[in-house]
Amino acid sequence: MSVPIPEIAFETTQVNGLNLHVLPAKKFKTTTIVVCIEQALSEENVTKTALLAHVLKRATARFPDSKQLREHLDFLYGAVFDVDVAKKGERQILQVYLELPQEQYLSAETALLEQAIQFVGDVLLRPYLENGVFAEKYILSEKEALRKRIESVVDDKIKYANQRITEEMCKGEPFALLVYGRVEDLPAISGENLYRYWKELIARNPIDIFVVGDVEQKQIEEYIGRHLAIERGLAKQLPPLAVQKQVSEIREVIDQLDVTQGKLNIGCRTHVTYRDDDYPALVMANGVLGGFPHSKLFINVREKASLAYYAVSRLESHKGVLMMMAGIDAANYEKAVSIMKEQLQLVRDGNISEMELAQTKATIVNQYRELMDSARMMIEFTYNGRLSGRRRTLSELLRQIQDIGIEEIRRVADKVQIDTIYLLRDRKGGA
Amino acid sequence: MQVTTFEQVNETIYHEKLPNGLRVYLLPKTGFSKTYAVFTTRYGSIDSHFRAGGEETIVPDGIAHFLEHKLFEKKDRDVFQDFSRNGASSNAFTSFNRTAYLFSSTEQVVENLNTLLDFVQDPYFSDQSVEKEKGIIGQEIQMYDDNPDWKVYMNLLKALYQKHPVRIEIAGTIESISRITKEALYRCYETFYHPGNMLLFVVGAIDPEQIMQVIRDNQARKQFPPVPRIERFFPEEPGEVGMKRIEHHLPVGLPKCLIGYKETNLGLTGQALLKQELTTKLVLEILFGTSSVLYQKLYDSGLITESFDFDYTAETAYAYSLLGGDTPDPDELVKVLNGEVERILEQGISTEDFERSRRKKIGQFLRALNSVEYIANQFTSYKFNETDLFDVLPVLESITLDDANRRLREHFQPEQQAVSIVRSASTKEQPF
Repeated sequence: MSVPIPEIAFETTQVNGLNLHVLPAKKFKTTTIVVCIEQALSEENVTKTALLAHVLKRATARFPDSKQLREHLDFLYGAVFDVDVAKKGERQILQVYLELPQEQYLSAETALLEQAIQFVGDVLLRPYLENGVFAEKYILSEKEALRKRIESVVDDKIKYANQRITEEMCKGEPFALLVYGRVEDLPAISGENLYRYWKELIARNPIDIFVVGDVEQKQIEEYIGRHLAIERGLAKQLPPLAVQKQVSEIREVIDQLDVTQGKLNIGCRTHVTYRDDDYPALVMANGVLGGFPHSKLFINVREKASLAYYAVSRLESHKGVLMMMAGIDAANYEKAVSIMKEQLQLVRDGNISEMELAQTKATIVNQYRELMDSARMMIEFTYNGRLSGRRRTLSELLRQIQDIGIEEIRRVADKVQIDTIYLLRDRKGGA
Repeated sequence: MQVTTFEQVNETIYHEKLPNGLRVYLLPKTGFSKTYAVFTTRYGSIDSHFRAGGEETIVPDGIAHFLEHKLFEKKDRDVFQDFSRNGASSNAFTSFNRTAYLFSSTEQVVENLNTLLDFVQDPYFSDQSVEKEKGIIGQEIQMYDDNPDWKVYMNLLKALYQKHPVRIEIAGTIESISRITKEALYRCYETFYHPGNMLLFVVGAIDPEQIMQVIRDNQARKQFPPVPRIERFFPEEPGEVGMKRIEHHLPVGLPKCLIGYKETNLGLTGQALLKQELTTKLVLEILFGTSSVLYQKLYDSGLITESFDFDYTAETAYAYSLLGGDTPDPDELVKVLNGEVERILEQGISTEDFERSRRKKIGQFLRALNSVEYIANQFTSYKFNETDLFDVLPVLESITLDDANRRLREHFQPEQQAVSIVRSASTKEQPF
């Protein structure tokens, strides 16, 4: 039975120098608005961008204190609101997120959508200022909040291990930076220099606005035109999305902390990114290796050797990093590393059954098709295309996945190089 | 097949109870690509002492979760393989009172649905595979042991509850699972996996007539004994909390602090339980939500971070609220919170705060209905308590300011409070 392939079809226009992407969809009970500001990930700016996200979230000219701002969101029927940063390749994306119920489900409610867009405009363009710069009280309080956030990365040991291996593996590359920035940068940031940074960011950096819901494109354009009125020239050219590096030798790093379970990460460079023709083959290679419960890592590390509860591989598409991960008893370190390397080698050798190929295609195709049921995921998919400069439609990508054979997986996996093997372990054993 | 339409939220639900006792609910979602199905038994980690027909049985802690793992393994294959072949993503989870098996897929829904029903209804346990699983689950237990958010939560339950098994880890301990045998798994399976103790929910891109027929045909092919009468035994739980305070060391950036209130008004089911749950959640929102005076005060003083959150769990036999998050100073946080709760207990809740927070709750519920996973799991969980998910909106609208003030005074009793803290071993020597 063949099912028609759906599309994720945003209509794109330019309003006030902003890229506006609108997707009318009746199936959701909410409208989702996401603004993405693109910035180069760099030592110079990483902490400023992260702090700016915090500060913009606190107050606006119209809602000078946080309680008023939060009350307004309650009034918009508990609209979900967030300003945060995300890392995509060597980009730091500042995102404003707002999701609110569709008016039709609320008796006698109108103009919620326009108020929501006005609010997004407030947050981005009309922040709360004192003496013409960001208010000192919010700068101080949010520096403290950001510091706590950076220090709390250690709480989730899986994420912590991921950050640590990334730092070691990509030392000297922007990708090594934690997206929340560095504690040591905080003292030098002031209400004044952050204000100048914000001015430049909204005037020069690429900005994309996405709207998904039961909306009309023209209407949204009108609201954006009215509430996000801004003077912008041509968007700034940013450095390459990611730098690539050849591996000369495999490094081994061991950290010790008071933990029970060891976290083993094997970081690989694939030399393939989202924009490359080989990308769909890489997605398949990662799927065969460790994307699913039928994959080689799950079967061999967990089911056969009984060494782990989770044993997976994940792809960072814009930098082209493939990460194998497993939670193990540190005493089984060598055994686990050897099994995991062996699985990668099997994929490199093209040692893949027709069944593995068919299962991986079916599950990957399903994953992509499921994007259609989430406004946020559809936005993410479309933004990945914009960011990389390679816009694949969903149907195009699915067709490419369907066409991939074992030989193409073998060829792309053959480029994959192990860079760093990392273990976060207890303090009992020798390092 | 019964059809019920909920006009306010524009959803229609199809329902049938099959001859073998299985309750089936279907909810078509227009415009959606995927279908999500969840097959749930009313059996969780707390059900370790029971009788069904034969003799009274006590099984090792963690066995419900162990059984969940083992149902995926058959004599000749792993069920994940079958789902993957048909492009489905499958999983399962065990909570205190439920075990759920699920898949989502955009194609081959009928095949995947048959796979789901067939694998759950055809257990195969062997001595060898039971032993092998102990290594895997041992790693899962250790993963949770290292997770400070999980630890601070479980410890709070340990402090609130003196006897009730909700205080025991869902996965058990490495020691308790070492005592699990194939025979014990079969005994639990036979007791709790009868269709009469289970519920199937399918939501998404489905034709309800067709899917109901697939389910009827699938179940008609199988033989089941008559619905057993299950007796579950729980120790008598005192009203009072067990410990006022519990502390544990793990490496964390900031200490984590959770404050819990143990419910005194128990034994509710149906509408009454739902109303109590929603009223309590509304009161929590009014007291501790992001627009509350208290939240802003705590945030401004640096005593809480954005991780601050709160929730209320309502079951017939146990219920509790909890609130907290990361904080540089747990004791100061508890002090300030208690002072503020005391003040609100005296003053009561204002109409304005009540209406604003209710508006927020209505929006939250509508948003949740975008998620097929939420609908299916929440509907099932409510149904086991004879409550209906689609009553949430009308019940929310029926709550009055008086209800909220009464609930405030009934629930937030100082003596029902317990505090759980997780901090680094060295935090005290190195204050921030």
